[in-house]
Amino acid sequence: MNTVLWIIFLPIILFVIGTFMLGYSRKFIARIERRYGPPIQQVFYDVFKLMSKKTNISHGWMHDIAMLVLLGGTLATLYFVPVPGFSYFAQYGDMLVIMYILLVPALGMALGVGETANPNGSIGISRALMMLAGYDIPFVLTFIGFGMLNHTTSMYDLMMIQQAGGFTSWGLISNPLLGIAALIALQGMIGEKPFEVMVAPHEIATGPMTEMGGKFLGIMMIQHAISLVVELTLYINLFLGGAMNWFEYIIKLFVLFTVLISVNAVFGRFRTDDAVRFMWKIPLPMAVIGILFIIF
Amino acid sequence: MSIVSNLLLITLAGVVLNVLFYKSKTVQKYLSLLLFTALAYFSFTMYGQVGLHFDFPFLIAGQSIGFTITYLNYYFTIMITGITLLLVIFSLKYMEGKEGSTHYYTVLFLKTFGMLGVVLSSDIITFFVFWEIMSWSTFALMSTGGNEAPKSAFKYFVFAITASMILMVGVVLSYSLFGSFDFNIIRSGIPSLTLPMTGFLLTIFITAFAIESAVFPVHSWLPNGYSNTFTTFTAYLSGISTRIGIYGIILFLFGIFGMETVDKLSIIGKINFRYVLGVFAAITMVVPTFTALYQHDAKKLIAWHSIGQGGYMLIGLASGSALGIAGGMLHILNYLTYQVLIVFAIASVQYRTGTTNLNKLGGLIKKMPVSFLALLFGIIGLAGLPPMNVFVSKWFIYRALILEGYPFLAIAAVIGTLGTILSVYKLIHNMFLGQLPERYNDIKEVGFSMQLPMWILMIVVFGLGVFPGFAMGLIAKIQVSLGLAAVPYSLHGVTAEGGQLNMLVVNVLFVSGMFVTWIIYLLGSRRKHVGQYNNYAGGHFLNKDVAYNFNYEFYAAMEHVIDPYRKKIIERTERGIVGLTDAVSEYVRRIYTGMINTYAIYVLTAFVITIILLKELI
Amino acid sequence: MEEKLTQRSVWEKISAKLTKRSLWMLHYCTGCGAVELPPTMTARFDMERFGINPMVTPRQADILLITGYLSIKTLKRVVLTYEQMQGPKYVVGFGSCTINGGMYWNSYATMKSLDRYIPVETYIAGCMPRPEAIIASFNDLIAKIDRGEANSWKEYYNNYDFYKENQNKVFEGPIETYNDIKADAALFKI
Repeated sequence: MNTVLWIIFLPIILFVIGTFMLGYSRKFIARIERRYGPPIQQVFYDVFKLMSKKTNISHGWMHDIAMLVLLGGTLATLYFVPVPGFSYFAQYGDMLVIMYILLVPALGMALGVGETANPNGSIGISRALMMLAGYDIPFVLTFIGFGMLNHTTSMYDLMMIQQAGGFTSWGLISNPLLGIAALIALQGMIGEKPFEVMVAPHEIATGPMTEMGGKFLGIMMIQHAISLVVELTLYINLFLGGAMNWFEYIIKLFVLFTVLISVNAVFGRFRTDDAVRFMWKIPLPMAVIGILFIIF
Repeated sequence: MSIVSNLLLITLAGVVLNVLFYKSKTVQKYLSLLLFTALAYFSFTMYGQVGLHFDFPFLIAGQSIGFTITYLNYYFTIMITGITLLLVIFSLKYMEGKEGSTHYYTVLFLKTFGMLGVVLSSDIITFFVFWEIMSWSTFALMSTGGNEAPKSAFKYFVFAITASMILMVGVVLSYSLFGSFDFNIIRSGIPSLTLPMTGFLLTIFITAFAIESAVFPVHSWLPNGYSNTFTTFTAYLSGISTRIGIYGIILFLFGIFGMETVDKLSIIGKINFRYVLGVFAAITMVVPTFTALYQHDAKKLIAWHSIGQGGYMLIGLASGSALGIAGGMLHILNYLTYQVLIVFAIASVQYRTGTTNLNKLGGLIKKMPVSFLALLFGIIGLAGLPPMNVFVSKWFIYRALILEGYPFLAIAAVIGTLGTILSVYKLIHNMFLGQLPERYNDIKEVGFSMQLPMWILMIVVFGLGVFPGFAMGLIAKIQVSLGLAAVPYSLHGVTAEGGQLNMLVVNVLFVSGMFVTWIIYLLGSRRKHVGQYNNYAGGHFLNKDVAYNFNYEFYAAMEHVIDPYRKKIIERTERGIVGLTDAVSEYVRRIYTGMINTYAIYVLTAFVITIILLKELI
Repeated sequence: MEEKLTQRSVWEKISAKLTKRSLWMLHYCTGCGAVELPPTMTARFDMERFGINPMVTPRQADILLITGYLSIKTLKRVVLTYEQMQGPKYVVGFGSCTINGGMYWNSYATMKSLDRYIPVETYIAGCMPRPEAIIASFNDLIAKIDRGEANSWKEYYNNYDFYKENQNKVFEGPIETYNDIKADAALFKI
């Protein structure tokens, strides 16, 4: 019974946390820019307004189905990531499953954007995929390193090992090279500046979101909020020791997110090839050296 | 008559009858369909007769040669016959009116004859003879179908002859060492060899097979060879023909030499034979997938991918654990299903539009939805994403590499997957998504006989994704028969300690996630479908004369990033190899002086040396 | 044209209270009023605290700001953009040129009254209005949405013949926007 309640309410809880985090980021960036900024619950208003649009436009059935795949894939992913108090499904899928399922929503959205027949969207998707090839390699390499070190690929086991070992067995402390490489890759994964080139509002008309309006954009925003929390939780479970209660979990989420959006607030956007080169020049060798430390 | 001879006689009959009836395409078509259906039926029912032996009625050097049925043979036989049957069903409509197709079915039967002989052989002479038949018929297959085809086929021919010569060295050497052709006798004789000799023999065989399965750096015959022939032949070649090399590697590496022997060959510590093979496989995975980004011909793109996926199979085999080897072997079946699906979709588009140039197509999803769905399933398979079957084999390979402690091979596999995602999205985007050009407004979906193989393959791809246990049963039996540990499988995946895989849970979660999203989607108001000209263009009015798509150089930024490495490393390597071959051939050429005096001196010298050596022996 | 206030349901009242806090403005700068937008958006006057963001494409935007005079050439694009936006949508006329032609009342190339071609929700008087005036009028718009009176977007569907006739008179012929307004009205039950 407990499990069923968790299954029903976990997406809603993560969605609420995600929207508050996004609102918090807008307020934070506004304060850095010396203005007031919107209230923290602004993203709720945005999502509500989008879902309550009266006339929705779509370009074909693939466009509609892509939205289902986008959010459906993210909902499927969030069950595999262990959160405090609920790791029922975590035993059925290990980190490889998570890394691969994280790619399915992106592909679904890419197909939907392709159907809209707008070259701005296609350019946005090509940039997003190239960025994916950029940040995913160091990120997965750090996961592989940890899996090799502990001889397991289950996220739950890795989290338990860190919890048992205390503060010094956190991934970030015991393997700082891998931790920092994953942190830089994480900035690319959540799509914050300087790796935000796929949503370049003035160059390519927000890229994939060009022809999305109304409930389509609403579903995309919901997905953005949930995937933000899922990706940050992945990092926390591997490098920041996981969390055994919700208080610790939310504190870690907000601290990590504050670090990431502080970088976001002061950087411009890197060009796509510059961003990919950066990802392959700095985090990737760090991760490689970190793994060499593990082997020898 | 045993079932093995049935299979071979049917294919031979197919060759002969197709040559006899070459005037009438209709007779050829339906005759081939009938014969291939019989072939598929016989090969699927071969399962109960594992262990059967069939010998030729004559002896060679006092030994019986022939065929045998093992689990490994059965696995490959059903793949070969199954895919040829689907191919023939597809070709019923596809090959109408194509020139150069007089001997289409003849070469298909000949090639199947050769391949069946190779996989069913029980001794090394049969293996070699049928290998030669297979190489020649592949050359014939590649040279039908177009203007560029004979040249690229000739390139393949040079590589295939080299592989055959290396294989012949191996055959002769093994006969002189063991005195017999039979695989069983060779297997029992291997442990008595010295270690350098074992390494040399293994390297010879593996090199010959590696050339045939297009491992980097001997892969350059594949892209042109596969893409210049008929598209259905591209499916056949890339699906199963290259994998005969992998069959050879599995047979010789595990069946004949055995894991313990192979593990004894090591250079320093962990750098053993398998690791070197793994490094070659890793390079094979990474380089071709990124080269595929550049291609603007759909067939070339998919040909480069077949090189890359061969690397996955090899790296699974090289990892050495039960999970990895199972993954490598399962990948052959998975790869076959989705590769043929992709090529069939490309062939359907070519049938209707007449081109496979990715810069000219676009927006066909509105006109050909079934082909789009087929290509979509194939692409999700090629990228290795859940819920399709390839995810299972890729998961096996990754886990094996991580747990065995090969992080760099694992990261090469990840790089390969990401490169694959990039290039297959370009394929599907340029063909089916984006704006529909005016000239394609009237095309329709392909007919039922062309859709049927695509539907069958889609069901197989998805079914094996949710229930991989069906294929895992056969794989486990193969592993046991080769003397390896069996993979612990269940109907839905694998249960092993340190992380398990349950495809049913993954798929059910995925579907229920989609269902919940559908409910959220319905909470919004109605939506209206609009045409492609009702689009944001900065206020510009769109019509059919405005070119509003992004197809050309889809990954320009990635090309900028990769170009320096490509120019420095890859092109210099290839130029080095070409230069080396040039220099050696130039040197060897000097033997042929064209003057009869030097030839007389050669003969005399050889005669004298032979007399001296014989005198030593006597 | 006055909008008669009908009794709204509870859900519509709650919905109005939530949607009024998030209005996205199309970043389409048509005339000389465009220069007043950057100060309104940036740190000094900070429009974002009311939930008003600039957005790039008409599919994503709620507010269409006509900032100043509109030449007939631009009017065609404005009509195209307006029809591409998704309802509910609000047009805000900026400056005197949208009200009565303003400084260019005598020109052959500009339109004289925006209300003839697309339905306008509010006007902002001035030549050009300062950012404080812009924010005050946005607050008026928000209050209007809260009261449930901001329904001018439906008039485009209901009185499409009137608008189309005015547009065709000044465009010298119909333009192709690929939007069938009458069919949309039936589909979305407006």
